[in-house]
Amino acid sequence: MTTAVNLLHVTSEGSASFQFTGMTDADLVASVLGGNLDAFAVLVDRYHDDCRRLARHLLGHEHDAEDATQETFLRAYAGLARYDERNAFRSWLYRILVNQCRTLGRQRRRRDRRFVQDPEALGLAAGPPGDADGELRQALAAALAGLAPRLREAFLLKHGEGLDYAEMSRITGVGISALKMRVKRAADEVRPKLERLLRG
Amino acid sequence: MADVDERIAAEVAWIYRTHPRPEAAARERLMERIREARPPGRRGLGPTWWLRPRAISLPPLAWAASALVLVALGGSLMWLAPLGPGAQNASTAVTTAPAGESRRLVRFAVQAPGARRVALVGDFNGWDPQASPMRRVGGTWLLSLPVSGGRHVYAFVVDGERWLSDPAAPLAPEDEFGFRKSVLVVRDPESL
Repeated sequence: MTTAVNLLHVTSEGSASFQFTGMTDADLVASVLGGNLDAFAVLVDRYHDDCRRLARHLLGHEHDAEDATQETFLRAYAGLARYDERNAFRSWLYRILVNQCRTLGRQRRRRDRRFVQDPEALGLAAGPPGDADGELRQALAAALAGLAPRLREAFLLKHGEGLDYAEMSRITGVGISALKMRVKRAADEVRPKLERLLRG
Repeated sequence: MADVDERIAAEVAWIYRTHPRPEAAARERLMERIREARPPGRRGLGPTWWLRPRAISLPPLAWAASALVLVALGGSLMWLAPLGPGAQNASTAVTTAPAGESRRLVRFAVQAPGARRVALVGDFNGWDPQASPMRRVGGTWLLSLPVSGGRHVYAFVVDGERWLSDPAAPLAPEDEFGFRKSVLVVRDPESL
């Protein structure tokens, strides 16, 4: 009996995955709106880790990053009818996520008075003595933590996510020229803190 | 300076690439919450007391004025129709007459000839796509609703899936989903 149940479970999962193979994000959204929750699970599989990573870097905390990511997908699910398939689903999701991170970041700053990073969560824990790369990355993390939130957001979207300015603008709702200015100002603030390590 | 900036950009990208991936359990926790959430586009009726069927009492003169405005509105929609495909969704919301002590009757119209069904959603009906279905007249969808005085935001939901703002009305700033709702300002009947 147990074997039969397990077999059924595996078969069911397998057929669900197969059912969505090759479907575009817009197809999946249409399927969710038609009442198929499994299609949303595929969207979660596709974008959860990307969202969690961006949230972690924007907020600096594993716990806050999970909250922001969960809230983003819940809001996306509730507001799925407002997704316009002419835009990339990931950009639409990132837009919700960035707004969530802004809200959570503001709440945290009011509570903590400063941006606090959890190096363990960011994979930046100190390496062995003499680890120059480790030292550089820790200095970089500290420099990013010292940036104003809007500068850190623009800098991470540009150099962490590797997005172009047009997509960054769609995600943040900020104009392209203002974003270029923010990335430049962020670089101007980060550079002096790392220059010695980079030239050494 | 340029080489330093390039190195910094490369380091930021490295941190991203090598970052530990979250465990599958986080995705499962998320899906548990999704399964408990209300399905999209199928929100139940909230405490919108005025959505229950009820008679709207208006003085005869107010009804006569309302009828005149509706006739004029019909003419304006006929004028909007020949504007071509880009104007297929041309629509408008017109305050027609006081509707009760603190509300006014607002007539909403949207041209969507290809739609199977259209609903009006707004802050005045809890954004419920089931609450205010519109009535089809030719290629135009119509609905008159009593709305309280003040500023309201609204949109149309076409075929239960697609949200559409009203191109004939002012638009609110983009919401968190990047959607711009339409704005309706209803003068408080008390001030008339």
